[in-house]
Amino acid sequence: MSVVIGGMRLRGPVLAASGTFGYGTEVPLLERRALGAMVSKGIFLRAREGTAPPRIAETPSGMLNAIGLQGPGADALISDYAPRWAEWDFPVLVNINGESASEYGELTARLDGIPGVAGFEINISCPNVEQGGLYFGNDPRAAAAVTEAVRKRTKLPVWVKLTPMVSDIGVIARAVESAGADALCAINTFVGMSIDLNAYRPRLSFRTGGLSGPAIRPLAIHLAHQAARAVDIPVIGIGGIMRAEDALEFLVAGCAAVQVGTATFVNPNAIAEVHDGIAAFLDSRGFSSLSSLPRYLPRD
Amino acid sequence: MFLLDAPITSKRQVARGMFVIGLHAPEIANSVRAGQFVNLALSPGPLLRRPFSVYRASADHIEIVLKAVGAGTAQLLALELGDRASCLGPLGRGFELAAGPQTAVLVSGGLGVAPMPLAARDARAAGMRVTWVHGARTAAELCAETDGETVIWATDDGSQGTAGTAVAAAPDAEVVLGCGPNRMLAALAERWPAAQVALETYMGCGTGVCLGCAVPLKGGGFDRACKEGPVYRAADVDWSALPTHLSYAVTA
Repeated sequence: MSVVIGGMRLRGPVLAASGTFGYGTEVPLLERRALGAMVSKGIFLRAREGTAPPRIAETPSGMLNAIGLQGPGADALISDYAPRWAEWDFPVLVNINGESASEYGELTARLDGIPGVAGFEINISCPNVEQGGLYFGNDPRAAAAVTEAVRKRTKLPVWVKLTPMVSDIGVIARAVESAGADALCAINTFVGMSIDLNAYRPRLSFRTGGLSGPAIRPLAIHLAHQAARAVDIPVIGIGGIMRAEDALEFLVAGCAAVQVGTATFVNPNAIAEVHDGIAAFLDSRGFSSLSSLPRYLPRD
Repeated sequence: MFLLDAPITSKRQVARGMFVIGLHAPEIANSVRAGQFVNLALSPGPLLRRPFSVYRASADHIEIVLKAVGAGTAQLLALELGDRASCLGPLGRGFELAAGPQTAVLVSGGLGVAPMPLAARDARAAGMRVTWVHGARTAAELCAETDGETVIWATDDGSQGTAGTAVAAAPDAEVVLGCGPNRMLAALAERWPAAQVALETYMGCGTGVCLGCAVPLKGGGFDRACKEGPVYRAADVDWSALPTHLSYAVTA
C-alpha cells in the first residue's frame, strides 16, 4: 500500500487533509498506523484570529466553512508542534499561505530545515481570506510565481493545492508543474453560499464559504482526473471521500493518493477505515499492490 | 472519549415538543461531568453530528434533551426504542464545581435545562444547596422535571411562576451556573460576571479540529466551544460578537 509522491515514500495512500486534522494532536481515536501523511492546518507567517461566527453551515451532503485560516503563525508552529511531529512515524507537511509570492517564500524559508517539517503544501486555493488564497489559484502566472518562490527556498517536497474555481484546471496544473511542484493536490473547496431565511442574510458571517463533503465528490473526481491528465507529476485526490470506495474512484481516475477531510469531522477514525477498505478491495480483486490497480487516465 | 453505537432505551416528553431520550452508553455514562456533551450521528442522516448536553447519567445510560429544531433533530426524535445512534463523547469542558461554596443557583431557559440535572448532582456532591430556576415562554414549554432544594419558575407570559425572565427571578448564590439562549446568557453575564455558562454554537466536529464553533472572547480572538468550552466564565465571552440566534439547517 505504500506510495511514492514526488520522491517521498508514504506508508499508505490515505492522507489527512489540511484544516481537518489540526496540527495532528487533536483528532482522537484515530488508528494512526493507517495514516500515510498529514497536512497541517493552513498557516501564515503571522498569527491570525480567523473569521467571526457563524463559521460553518451544513448543506445537503456537505458543509460550508469560513474559518479564515485561524492559526498561531510560524513561530508558534515551530516551537509548539514541529518538535512533536519530529517524533512521529509519518511525515507532516505544512500547508502554507501568504498575501504575496514573497510572503510564501519567506514562510518557506522560516520553516525549511526545522525538524518535523517534511514538506510543504502551497495553498493557493483558500476561499476564506481577503488577500491571497484563491487569487493565486486562478491565475496561471500568479500560481507559478508562488510555486517558484517556495521552490527556491526549499529542497523538501513541494505540493500545490489547486482550487476548483477555474475554467481549466489543466492550465494551472501545468503552470505549477513547470514552476517546480513535486505533486498536485486536487481539489480545495468550492465557493458556496447559503441563506438564513429568518434573518434574510447569509448563514455565514463571511457571506461565502468553502463547500466540502460528499456533495462535491463527483466534481472533485472530474477535476482531479483533468489535472492528472495534464501533468506528469502525481496528483493527490481530495473531495468528499467518506469510504474506501470513494477513495478508489479517485485512484482509478488517475490519482496517486488521496486526502480525507470532512469525513474525519464525522468519524474520527475515517482515515483508518478508508485505508483498510482500500486494502480489502485490492485483496478481494486479486491485486498484489496498489500499483496494479487499473487506472483510467487517457492522456491529453 | 468514546465512540459508541448506542441503542435508544427510553423516551419521554417533558414539555411541549421537548423530549428526553435515553441511550445505552456505559463508558460515557461513567465518565461524563456536568456541562459536557455528546455528538450524535445517524446513518443514513445528515452529514454532521449534532451536539447535546448530557442531561442525566446512570450506571449504563445517558439521557439527552431533544427538540425538533431542524432536519437532524427531527430525525433523531423519530427514532424508536432499540434504534441506534453513533454517540461520540463525553466532549468539552464541563462546569467546575469544587468543594467550598455552600449555595448554587442553576439558571436555565428552554432547552438550556439540558445540563442542569447533572450540574445539580455534581453541585450537591460538592456540598452545595441547589436552587433550580427554569424559564420558558409559556407554562407549556417549561421542562416538567426539576432537581433542586428550591425550585423557581419563570415564564414570559406569566402563565406559571414569576412573569419575566429566569435571570430576573433567580436569587443570588455563591455559585451561579447558566444555560439557555445567548441573549439570556448575556443578561446573566451582566448580573453575575463570575457565573459559569454553557454556550450553544454551531458545531462541526466536536473534537477541536474544525474550528467551526468559534466563541469570541472579551480579551480578543476566538476559542472552541467544543474544547475550551462549552462552559465559560460569563465575563470572558464577547456577547456582542456572539450570534444571538442560531438558525438551524433546514436544507440538510
